[in-house]
Amino acid sequence: MKQVIQMAVVLTLICTICGAALSGIRSITAERIVYQRLINVQGPNVEDVLKGSENDLIAERESVEIDGEEILLFVGKKNDRPWAVAYETSAAGFGGELTIMVGYDLEKDKLTGLKIGTNSETAGVGSRVTQDPFTKQFKGLDIDLKFTGGPCPVGVDAISGATVSSMAVSEALKKSVALYPKIKEAVL
Amino acid sequence: MGLMREFTKGLWKDLAPFRVVLGLCPILAVTKEAETGLGMGIGVIFVLTCSNVIISSIRNIIPRQVRIAGFIVIIASFVTMVELFSQAYFYPIYQKLGIFIPLIVVNCIILGRAEAFASRNGVIASALDGLGIGLGYTMSLVLLGSIREILGAGTIFGVDMMWASFRPFTFMAEAPGAFVSLGLLLGIMNAVSRKS
Amino acid sequence: MDYIILIISSLLINNILLAQFLGNCPFLGTSKRMDTAIGMGIAVIFVLTIACIVTFWVQHKVLDPLGIDYLQTVSFILVIAALVQLVEMFLRKFAKPLYTALGIFLPLITTNCAVMGAALLIIRKEYTFTQGVVFAIASASGFTLALILMAGIRERLEISDVPLALRGTAIGLITAGLMALAFFGFQGMDAALTALVRS
Repeated sequence: MKQVIQMAVVLTLICTICGAALSGIRSITAERIVYQRLINVQGPNVEDVLKGSENDLIAERESVEIDGEEILLFVGKKNDRPWAVAYETSAAGFGGELTIMVGYDLEKDKLTGLKIGTNSETAGVGSRVTQDPFTKQFKGLDIDLKFTGGPCPVGVDAISGATVSSMAVSEALKKSVALYPKIKEAVL
Repeated sequence: MGLMREFTKGLWKDLAPFRVVLGLCPILAVTKEAETGLGMGIGVIFVLTCSNVIISSIRNIIPRQVRIAGFIVIIASFVTMVELFSQAYFYPIYQKLGIFIPLIVVNCIILGRAEAFASRNGVIASALDGLGIGLGYTMSLVLLGSIREILGAGTIFGVDMMWASFRPFTFMAEAPGAFVSLGLLLGIMNAVSRKS
Repeated sequence: MDYIILIISSLLINNILLAQFLGNCPFLGTSKRMDTAIGMGIAVIFVLTIACIVTFWVQHKVLDPLGIDYLQTVSFILVIAALVQLVEMFLRKFAKPLYTALGIFLPLITTNCAVMGAALLIIRKEYTFTQGVVFAIASASGFTLALILMAGIRERLEISDVPLALRGTAIGLITAGLMALAFFGFQGMDAALTALVRS
């Protein structure tokens, strides 16, 4: 009996100490981890769609609440005045959720660029939507998107054989554009 | 002098994974580049040394029947620390190592040292043992990583090494190259140690 | 149809052993003879599938709701270790023949990184429950497939004239490399298969 109690006490003690140590380290590193993730995962996409900005895009990120949903905004500034904004939206792709980062020019109300973030599209087929030849077509599009039955808006050629992935990008883009008026209001 | 031997044995006599065939998965998976191999090695040194120290200092308190469970909790905690620190300070390496950071916990070298050495020896000896074995393992990781990076990409630690017209062997960068180069290296080590 | 792609992908294209390097220690350790290879393979299919179901539940019902996902590594390894013990006890009591066949392999499975690796991959790839189970069974079968193929080759290596320095693990690794090269041929299938299923 004494042995069983000793076993239980020692194991509980080890687990408690380890748990406490880990939660301590977790709370110290949590903030840095979030920041590192932003820089390394979303950072390159933000830099790309807001090219020409003069401020530190990641450090000056802000979050706004729109229709009860928290959205992380990256505001690009020139001469200390906001000229463009970028944020993420997502839609169901072929292999899971597909996230896009879209940048908007606040004066001209046009897209400054579109980049694909996290996705699990099939390598070699659907994954081609993540590549430049496809994504750079969105640059300069008007926010008033026109659809004429194809999977992608007018002015953008879908990837043949990857209709689902192309449509997922369009779905996410529709959501993104729908949010734009409210976000523009929040930024300016 | 005895303590010094605990340290140096990991560098040749018990060199993992060449002399003691343990810890093969990470050495195959993360040695596409020398840099990721080094990152993995540092993680292993940290976990191995810390867990050895803690385990040897509680070796007389912990009941025999539950020792393995206790060892696993302690090792897993240190692995989680590596996971958190690497995310906070070395994010690009964390991304490249992927699931192989949490998988340090099932690296047989660590549980093996805890059971075979740290639970039977003093704190200082265990620390030196962990440091030595970890360093030896890191050397192996960096060695294989360098070979594969030089032949597979023509670079080492990202710096160009080969002449301009060098065409990298894609074979070395992919899975088959990992198995074959480790096998050949193991053969060379066997030949060398048989001679000496 | 997606499940067919998932099965073929995890069985052949991204074989857990030969392409993802998970579970190499037992691979080289138990592939010397055919009967041990089969025993180990079946034990892995069994434990890996159960472990993935349990860890999936732990992640989505315990760790995520409580916001303690940083305890993932600790809880997963404990769950797997406890599970292996339970399976061992259960088999000893209720399935004696199975226990005599697989018993000696079970303790080895706790430190088999294929089990922990598959459990982690299911969470990282954000699979649904069904996808996770299919992935687990297909991956474990891929492990068994590679293990049995390897055992067949190694039984023949026993009687061939291998250079002294390469005997044992070294030639095993080189053989595994050549097998990985053969499996590498499946790489392009992914895209072709997807196109086929779509059309």
